Formats: sequence, structure tokens, C-alpha cells
Amino acid sequence: MSGGRFVRMSYVVASVCGVLFFVMSVALLGIWPGRVLENQTRLMSPPHPLGLSVSEKRGRVIYSREGCAYCHTQQIRYLDSDMARFGAPTLAWETRFDYPHLWGTRRIGPDLSREGSSRSEDWQLSHLFEPRSVVADSVMPAYPSLFDGSPDRPRQEARDLVAYLGTLGRARELAGPEGEAHARTACNCPDDEMAQMAFHAAALNASPARTLRNGAAPKLPAGNLEHGRELYTSNCASCHGGRGDADGPGAAGLHPKPTNLAGHEYTSDRLGQVLWNGVAGTAMPGWRDLSTQDLADLAQAVRALSTPQREPAPPQGLVDLGAHVYAANCSQCHGEHGAGDGSAVSELSIPPADFRGGRPSVAESLRALRNGVEGTKMAPWTGRLNEAELSAVAYYVRSFFQGAQ
Amino acid sequence: MVSVAQNVSLSADAPTVETRLVYAHGLAAIITLLIAVTFGILASIELFVPDLAGNPVWLSWGRLRYDHTQGILFGWLGNAFLAFLYHAVPLLTGRRVTSARLGQWLFGLWNFAVVFPGWILVLAGFSQPLEWAEFPMVIDAFVVLALVLAIIQFLPPFFWRGLEDLYVSSWYVIGSLIFTLLAYPMGNFVPELVPGARGAAFSGLWIHDAVGLFVTPLALAILYFVIPAATRRPIFSHFLSMLGFWLLFFLYPLNGTHHYIFSVIPMNAQIGAITASALLGVDVIIVVANLLLSLRGSGVFPRDVGLRFVAMSTIFYLVVSIQGSIQAQMAVNQAIHFSDWVIGHSHLAMLGFATFAAAGGLVHAWQRIPWARYNEPVLEVAYWLLFAGVVMMVTDLTIAGLVEAHVWQSAAPWLDSVRAAKPYWIIRTASAVPIGAGFLALLVGLTTGSKGAGLREVEKTIGLEPVQQIAPTLAPVASEAS
Repeated sequence: MSGGRFVRMSYVVASVCGVLFFVMSVALLGIWPGRVLENQTRLMSPPHPLGLSVSEKRGRVIYSREGCAYCHTQQIRYLDSDMARFGAPTLAWETRFDYPHLWGTRRIGPDLSREGSSRSEDWQLSHLFEPRSVVADSVMPAYPSLFDGSPDRPRQEARDLVAYLGTLGRARELAGPEGEAHARTACNCPDDEMAQMAFHAAALNASPARTLRNGAAPKLPAGNLEHGRELYTSNCASCHGGRGDADGPGAAGLHPKPTNLAGHEYTSDRLGQVLWNGVAGTAMPGWRDLSTQDLADLAQAVRALSTPQREPAPPQGLVDLGAHVYAANCSQCHGEHGAGDGSAVSELSIPPADFRGGRPSVAESLRALRNGVEGTKMAPWTGRLNEAELSAVAYYVRSFFQGAQ
Repeated sequence: MVSVAQNVSLSADAPTVETRLVYAHGLAAIITLLIAVTFGILASIELFVPDLAGNPVWLSWGRLRYDHTQGILFGWLGNAFLAFLYHAVPLLTGRRVTSARLGQWLFGLWNFAVVFPGWILVLAGFSQPLEWAEFPMVIDAFVVLALVLAIIQFLPPFFWRGLEDLYVSSWYVIGSLIFTLLAYPMGNFVPELVPGARGAAFSGLWIHDAVGLFVTPLALAILYFVIPAATRRPIFSHFLSMLGFWLLFFLYPLNGTHHYIFSVIPMNAQIGAITASALLGVDVIIVVANLLLSLRGSGVFPRDVGLRFVAMSTIFYLVVSIQGSIQAQMAVNQAIHFSDWVIGHSHLAMLGFATFAAAGGLVHAWQRIPWARYNEPVLEVAYWLLFAGVVMMVTDLTIAGLVEAHVWQSAAPWLDSVRAAKPYWIIRTASAVPIGAGFLALLVGLTTGSKGAGLREVEKTIGLEPVQQIAPTLAPVASEAS
């Protein structure tokens, strides 16, 4: 074979190989994994996973066009560090409705695979309208164009987007323990260490912000006021206000409004519980990503915000009237002894105030009685109680407090 | 085989290089580059001034981010590569490109059916959330059409002249145009039709193919072309050239899944991609060794500006590829994935390696347009500004990535990683000052000065030679291989 012909032939062979390698890449890294994943999806998916509604699909389009996926991944990796922060790793079947996928390759904000059960709707809306109104140090873009001028006047697009956020992680959550068991059996991978991780997460959603009803809050040690104030400023002031007057920029869009911390005294235990669990049904998230010491410091700072005025001891007649009115009207929800554990509690999405752990000032107490607490089942009582009864019960609820006087 | 170049001449009456198309694409490249960089700078500022300009939605971070990378890929690199092809293909083949008229159509299509409408549609909210594929699908259709036209424009001269004795740059050009056309639909159409994890597997392929089959081969075609043309010495080893070429085309496509390590995509595919990523580093060492050996005697900062860009591009290529091989490994990837380290890596690739290659090719071609203005001192300034800017930015982002990774590995709140990254984001934006100024200087350097100054500069530094003498230095492979 002549030299020239040999070279020609070798190029033909090499060119064919080049094309074959390309085909191989598509086959090995695209088509074959696709078949494996399709098979996995078929076997592991619950039989009728909930897809997206029309509104949720529209929300997904908004999420896509605004590039949300370029800062927020939707892919929890099979790694302890990812699982500890975000929850169970993403399974193939969870992504079966994602046209196109929104996995992302950069995490500036947190992963959102389990966001659906992490935050309340009013928080999401306020956060989209102006992220820094609820998360002071956030760098997320604000999307005022989705609203009609204020966070509680969302346009359809904002509603759609929040509806979509509500779907993130939903299918897996709805599948429940049966779904997990089914997937695990179908996976048939007891020896596959990585695949097993999908089922070993401590919680499906590990978000520290997700509210808990009765999480095991740690006992708080003595706190450092100075450091607590720093933490308060960067984490709490955006909603609760710099002085705890509930007048932070985030307060405007939240329902119920953030608690007026200056108008309450709290026990350390109560603050520990609220910080650890958040307040279910409200925008108050859990702060379980802070260390116990940070929580103690923060609790110290919150307690220093309250400005209790020495209230004159009410006359005995008023106390008796208060007790009477409370027993007749309030104890069903707030509990016989003011612990927020009345018989109706199980029917309330937002837990009623616990007066043993937190004592409102008379003014705060009266305000709640007169106006109700917007966004909760606490209605105004002015139609049912006269002025004397209102004052009496406003004083009376203060007597449950178990903290130091 | 010397006969190859007999019809070609570099002097003013050179008929076969469509200099007007070189010029048009070159100018479009730099103008779209400045716009794409502006998108990038605005997006980088919004990371620490998030409420910039009152939050008009078309200026929001996500849309700017889409337009930034698509602008760099299609506007800057696409146009610069096309400009280079109009210069190089006639010299490599001794034949005209298919048609100047087709060239006008391609120019119009590329810029006025892809780049500008793509940008506007993204800003208006029409896009797809897929990396290196953000322009909406209607634009993708025009990209595919443009790629077909580019193949019609540039490949026939190679086939008419015969494929034996083909210089390595020619191989890269042929390989790149064909494989880009094959790979493009995978990242731009398939994930819209195949859901979730399955679609992500294809996305991963395209993310790497966009860089590996479009950008890298054309950038390497420039490096392989400019080095012998500007040093007047043949490439060190044509055997290594071809070895590097084939290894690249065998290995690059197999890397894709390394963008989704520790995902639900089957572990065998992940491990295959990780292995290919390591091997790719070996290939790059072969390619770069060959290029650096060809540069011997010219120094790290050669006197000729085009060659100087190309020399630094070669070094960036080595660093970014070795970095890529390392960061694809599981132990490294688990920490730095999702962090600014990767943003640093991609800028080292696109702003370091590819941009320096494209700028080098552009300057080289520009010098040889007899009627083009050319301002050497300003281009010198451009080089140093860009060099300083790239080093500053990549170093900064790499450290930022390590800091973020450190916070993520700890139990600290997520927001702590954002707080920790902010100073680095500010420095990154500061690096936009030399980079932006460097690109402006590139524009000034190629549009001011006297006409024909480039050619005079060539004459002064390396001596003007007719192509009859240059072409053999871009020697056909067969001269050594057979």
C-alpha cells in the first residue's frame, strides 16, 4: 500500500471512529441512562403521582424564564452534606413532570427541591416582592412586577409562581411512608450504597426553616446579649423591627403580622421553642440552623427588647371578672391555664398564644381583644364583651405567666 | 503539496480571502462582546446591589445571566470564529470559500436572526432554563440553519482539495462544524421533550459539547494556525497534532455527565464521564506540549500581539483543562460543585482560553487585511488589561468557591455562605474594570490607526512573506506522518 493511500485509509478509519465515539457518548451518557431512569421511574413512582395544575405550570414557566434555576438547584445530591441541609436526595420519579428539568449547576441560594413544605405563602409572596424585607442579607432579585404595588396584592403571576413553589417536593411528601417503602422495594438495591441513601435521610425535608409542631427544642444556656443583638439585627429585625415593635419592612405583607416583641415578656423556654420550631401556619420559620448558643444569645436579645411597665395590681373584682370571662370565652383555645392547649387547638392551623411562656403588655392584650389577630382565628371581641370585661380579661391573661416577675 | 498554496497571496491583491467578511464578523464579534460583557457586569453587580435600577424585570439577574453567556457563545466567539474561518480556510485549502453572497446571508442570519433577537427575546421573558441553551427554541432553529450554511460555506474547499495532507487546523474546523451540528439539538431540543433526570443527562452532554465540540476545536484551530504562521516555523510535531485532535474528538463528548456527579443518573455513566475527564487532561497535555514546543524561542509573551494572545491562550488551556480533570473527581467535586469555583473555571475556559484564542486569531487576520486600520500600541494595552483581569477574576472566584464550599460543609446557616461570598463578588466586579477596558481597547486597536498598519507591523516584526512560503509551515500532515 502506498504511503498516501495508507494515510487516506487511516483517516477514513479515524473519522468513522470519531463519529462512533460521538454516537457512543450519546448512547452511553444520554440514551442508556435515560432508559435506566425511565425504568426506575416506572418501578419506583407511586401509581398516580400528582402532576401540576394549570396555575402551577404557569408558575413553572415564570420560574424558568427568570432564571431561578441558575441560583437555586433542584437536585439534592447523594451526599451527607446535601442531605443534612435539604433532605432526601432527588429520585428520578420525582422529576417525571419536569419539562425541561430545572436541576441547575450553581447554588447561590439554597436548593429548592423540598421548598413546598418549607415556608408559608405570605412569606413567599413578601420574599418575591422584596427579598430583603424578610431576609435582610439576601441577594435575590426582587420581582415587584409580579405584584400590584405591595406584597399583599399579588398579580396572577405571583400567585402562579408561589403555587409552583408549593409543588416542590410535594409528590414525594404525598407518597408518604408507603411511597418510600414501595420505592425502596422496587429499587431492589440493598447493596447499592448510594441508592440506599435516598431512603436514609433523617427527614424528607431537612430545611431548618420548616415549622414543627412539637420539635425537641434544646434547653438554652445563658446567652450573650451583645452577640444576640447582632443576630437579631441580621435575622429578625426585617420583620419584627429593630426595636421589636413589629414594624420591620417585612411586616407589611405577612398575615398574621409578626409578633410585637417589645410588648411581650417571654420565658427563655418559650423563646427556645419558638426559635427551634417556628410558628406553624405563620411566616415565622424555624431557626434550627443556628447553634444552641446562638439561639440562647438571640433569646437574650429578644427578652431585652420587652419594656414591661409595672402594671398596678387590678382590684379583686376585676380579677374575678377576668377569670370568669376567660373561662367562658378563651379557655377553649388558650387552655384552662393559659398554656395555649385548649380543647379546640387541634382544629387551629395556627397555635393560640401561650400565656404561660409569654406575657403581653396590657396594651398588646387589649389590642388583640379589640382588633383580633388578622390571619388567625382570634376574632375581635368588642361585639361580645363590654369594655369592663375586655379590660378585666386583658389583665387576667397576664397572670398565667410563669417567668420571673 | 506545496502547490496547495500557489494561488494564494497575502498581498493587497489577494483575491481569495473574503476580507470584507473577516472584517464584518470581526467587528460584530467585538461589538456583541461589549454588549455581552455589559450583561455580565450588570449581573455581577446585582449580586451585591440586588435592587439595582429599581428592579425592572427585563434587567433582573436571571435574564442578564442568560444573555451574558449566550452573547459570549454566539455573539463574540461565534463571530470571531467565523471571521477566523474566512481568513484561514482559503489559506488552508488554496480555494475560496463557497460563496461571498452566502457569507452575507450567514452574517445576517447569525447576528440578526440569532444573537440580537435571542437577546431581546430573553429580556422579554422568552427563553429556556438550560445552560448554554438559553435562547428560545425558535432561535435554535436559526442556529441549526446557520450551522448548515457554515458547513456549506467552509467545508467544500477542504473536500475539493482532498482530505489527505490536511493540516491539523483543517481537521479541527471540519470536526467542529460537523459535530456541533450533531450535538446542538441534544442540549436545545431534547430536554424539552424528555423530562427531569432523563433530560438532564442530555443537558449534561450539551453543556460539555458546547465547550468541547464548538469552542475548543475552533480555538485550537486558531492556535495551530497562528503559531506556525506567525513564527514561520512548522508545528513541532504533526503526529502529536493529530493524536491530540483524535483524542479530543473521542474524549470530549464522553465528559458530559460530570456536571451531575452524585445525582440519580446511573453511577456507571458518572464514573465513565469522570474517567473520560481524567483522560482528557492527558490529551490536553499532549496538545499543549506540542503547541508550546512550537512556540519555543518566542517566549511567553511574544512580540507579535496576535501570537501573544495565542501563546497565553495555550497556557490558559492547559491550566483550565487540568483543573477540569481534577474537579471532575468525586472527592473534589463533592465540595466545589455548585460553588463559584466552577464559575471561575468557566471564565478561565471562555474568557481565558477561548477569548484569548479568538482575539489572537482576530488580530492575526486583521493585520493581514490590507485596508483595515490597526493600532498596535492600543492592542498591547488590551492584552495586558485582559491578562490582568482574567487572572484577578479567576483567582478571586476560585477562592470564593473554596470559602463557600467550606461553609456548606459546616453546620452554619446557608446565608453565611452568601455573606462570606460578598467581598469576593465585589472583587469579581472590580476585575470587570480591566476586562471591560481591555475589550474596549481591542475595539479601538482594530478600528483606529492607519490603514494597512497591520500589514506593515507584520513586515517589521516577522517579515512579510507571500503565502507560498507560509503555507508550507502550515504543512500538510503527510509530510511527516507518511
